[in-house]
Amino acid sequence: MTDRPAIEIDRLDVTFAAKGRAVRAVQGVSLAVARRESFGLVGESGSGKSTILRAICGLAPVSGGAIRLGGDPLPARRGKDFSTRVQMVFQDPYASLHPRHTIDRTLSEPLAIHGIGDTDARVVRALQDVGLPAAFRFRYPHQLSGGQRQRVAIARALMLNPQILLLDEPTSALDASVQAEVLNLLTRLREERGLTFLMVSHDLAVIDHMCDRILVMQHGRAVEEIAHADLAAGRMQTDYARSLFAASADRMLS
Amino acid sequence: MSLLTVENLRVTFDTETGPVQAVRGVSFSLGRERLGIVGESGSGKTMTGRSVLRLIRPPGRIEADRMEFDGQDLMRIPETGMRALRGRRIAMVMQDPKFSLNPVMRVGEQLTEGLRRRDRLGRAEAVRKALAALEAVQIRDPERVMQAYPHELSGGMGQRVMIAMMLIPEPDLLIADEPTSALDVTVQAEVLQILDTLVRDRGMGLIFVSHDLRLVARFCDRVLVMYRGRIVEELPARELMAARHPYTRGLLNCLPRIGGARGPLPVLDRSGDWADD
Amino acid sequence: MTALTDWLTDPDPKSRAQARLGQAWLSWLRLRRNPLAMTGLVIVVALLVLAAFAPVFATHDPIAQNLGQRLLPPGTPGHWLGTDDFGRDIWSRIVHGARITLYIVALVALTAPVLGLVIGTVAGYAGGWVDTVLMRITDIFMAFPRLILALALVAVLGPGIFNAVLAIALTAWPPYARVARAETLTVRSSDYIAAVRLQGAGAARIVWGHVMPMCLPSVIIRVTLDMAGVILIAAGLGFLGLGAQPPLPEWGLMISSGRKFLFDQWWVATMPGLAIFIVSLGFNLLGDGLRDVLDPRSAGR
Ligand SMILES: Nc1ncnc2c1ncn2[C@@H]1O[C@H](COP(=O)(O)OP(=O)(O)OP(=O)(O)O)[C@@H](O)[C@H]1O
Ligand SMILES: Nc1ncnc2c1ncn2[C@@H]1O[C@H](COP(=O)(O)OP(=O)(O)OP(=O)(O)O)[C@@H](O)[C@H]1O
Ligand SMILES: [Mg+2]
Ligand SMILES: [Mg+2]
Repeated sequence: MTDRPAIEIDRLDVTFAAKGRAVRAVQGVSLAVARRESFGLVGESGSGKSTILRAICGLAPVSGGAIRLGGDPLPARRGKDFSTRVQMVFQDPYASLHPRHTIDRTLSEPLAIHGIGDTDARVVRALQDVGLPAAFRFRYPHQLSGGQRQRVAIARALMLNPQILLLDEPTSALDASVQAEVLNLLTRLREERGLTFLMVSHDLAVIDHMCDRILVMQHGRAVEEIAHADLAAGRMQTDYARSLFAASADRMLS
Repeated sequence: MSLLTVENLRVTFDTETGPVQAVRGVSFSLGRERLGIVGESGSGKTMTGRSVLRLIRPPGRIEADRMEFDGQDLMRIPETGMRALRGRRIAMVMQDPKFSLNPVMRVGEQLTEGLRRRDRLGRAEAVRKALAALEAVQIRDPERVMQAYPHELSGGMGQRVMIAMMLIPEPDLLIADEPTSALDVTVQAEVLQILDTLVRDRGMGLIFVSHDLRLVARFCDRVLVMYRGRIVEELPARELMAARHPYTRGLLNCLPRIGGARGPLPVLDRSGDWADD
Repeated sequence: MTALTDWLTDPDPKSRAQARLGQAWLSWLRLRRNPLAMTGLVIVVALLVLAAFAPVFATHDPIAQNLGQRLLPPGTPGHWLGTDDFGRDIWSRIVHGARITLYIVALVALTAPVLGLVIGTVAGYAGGWVDTVLMRITDIFMAFPRLILALALVAVLGPGIFNAVLAIALTAWPPYARVARAETLTVRSSDYIAAVRLQGAGAARIVWGHVMPMCLPSVIIRVTLDMAGVILIAAGLGFLGLGAQPPLPEWGLMISSGRKFLFDQWWVATMPGLAIFIVSLGFNLLGDGLRDVLDPRSAGR
């Protein structure tokens, strides 16, 4: 059981029906993320990275292939059991918190859905875990900065103690110092809780800092998988991956 | 002659809990060049950009000793005059494309609306221009994107649609607020290339707001570094990576590097003198 | 007092109630800055007070006839707004009529928006055929002019205040459904809805707890703006003899009975007309002000 990959995606196809035309957003992508591993997805804008994360969550129309968690195929309706195993942090911290709910409400909602008691203590602890003062508990999102909002989003994702976190460009809307805070937070939480990450980012430096392996995507297809050591050394097979690397020259450790 | 001159710009929000000063005395001038604005979140970058278009909603108000665009006093022009400037001569790419696009209107309609109403183009001509604009920003399947609603686009596609929309009327000044934060590096390079061409060949002025210090250092001519509504440092973009100011240095230090150590990243240290007002 | 406002404006509220009251307080402060909205609020509150204490404000019995004092002009001692053709004091009738107006307004405001909100959010969130069916029904109701539809309904149900209210409510909900659906469509694909779905929330919970709060402001604004129309339609039904029945002091009915003397005794019809005008204006001004207060985009960051 333990050596089964936490996430296994096998020749996944996702097809959107848009105005009678089929949009094949993901075509035959396979990947496997081991337990406690941090896996990165990079690639062209519109190449289906977010769609893969959404497909895992049952938020995108899968038209072929299989997704398995810990070896078990996923039911078509994800259900409550799924939400205790996998959670997602969305790209835009300004759009992912309900503007009319206090932080308290946002964080206690998953507990209410799953009928978990002890709400007060859990919410306070969750805030503590992501390094927010307990005084923020009854604030509204518009009273928080981008980085603080992203922390709340991370805290919300952790409320149900999932083992897998899907991170869709978790820091692209944040400034350099807040990005560092959020990345440090994610790394710490991963160590403490043994989490598995599947993470999308455009910034190869962020990916390099966070991920053990990366998959490069283009036009809805997987182009190449690269190990962490090879990324820094610039050892790539395909032209597209090399062009990404070359365009990130300013992010290299000089 | 400079295209835009801003002297001692202040933006104040009279909130219920007292006034909040978002921009506190910003001065700069812009020629037909690429001016970068960087700084941490909440430092007033967006508000500075929006002030130029006088797009600050109440309870916010704008004050400036001088704000001139191409010889016109932006503080005095009546609202109708401003409306004629906005979009046509001064365009702004908003920070949050998903928020700025109309969620229940197809992308194509939004792109062609201005062309048809303002430039009185026929339907076919407007569609042709819109398609060309989408292609220019590297959208793969422009016909489909024209028919799509904003929520059917990826994050980066929304951003590019927004850029295309702003570039269609060929403005003289473009204010781009985080225009490429959701783009991968190669598409980003293409989009920057378009902006660059416009600045070089057509003499457009560009204000480029971004979190990405390395991108700004590479792409812009000059950089303003903002902190809590003030400009703390102004320097040539080439020298940004070697900036001296402790705040700028602090921001630079936070950045991860390919091949860097895996340990915790340094975060901004706010204990220096520069942090007190 | 300062302790209370400090408590309300505390950036770090200690409890849910404090946070909610704090938000309400900020909304109130925003409303207070808008003089027109405050005028509207004063008018609406005045209507409430007038209706609540009608017997105190009324100088006469609104129904008792006194044929010796027919059609006295305004300014007559004891009848400072004049009397009508049965010698009833117009001021007292208007004051008591405020209760009827308020009754109609309250009933319509409680039923139509709720119905519209439920239909609109469900249609918008469910999409597909549910949406198509619900919105076609809405369109059908929208296609008829409201007064005509209300007339037809009252003709079927029989005249009377309650039936008039029912008719108005049944004709008033479609615009709310439209507004709520439009708002739902913009909210539906947002990340925060995806996030609760991911936490395992069911459709009912999402619509009730997450979508409706986003639609509520625009519906509330619409309701206050529409109240003027509701009062006018109720008056119109009364005027046509299909709403409140004589001798009830309903404002529309009063205008209707006054029109016979419009040229010689203008005040009989004009006074209730003024009352309708002022109250309608009050609701409209308040609605406009609420737009600024409740619109999430104008809410300070
Ligand atoms: N709801 C939808 N309906 C139709 N097409 C969609 C929908 N959602 C996504 N798509 C399409 O799927 C493709 C992949 O989108 P996705 O969001 O996965 O890209 P991405 O790799 O995350 O890109 P980015 O880096 O720009 O965010 C795009 O072409 C997009 O237009
Ligand atoms: N409506 C408002 N009421 C009060 N303060 C506001 C309002 N809108 C903005 N502000 C304040 O103005 C300041 C500047 O905001 P601005 O959006 O310009 O920041 P920014 O530099 O663009 O940040 P980011 O990088 O996060 O986009 C912030 O501190 C913010 O709190
Ligand atoms: Mg994406
Ligand atoms: Mg900004």
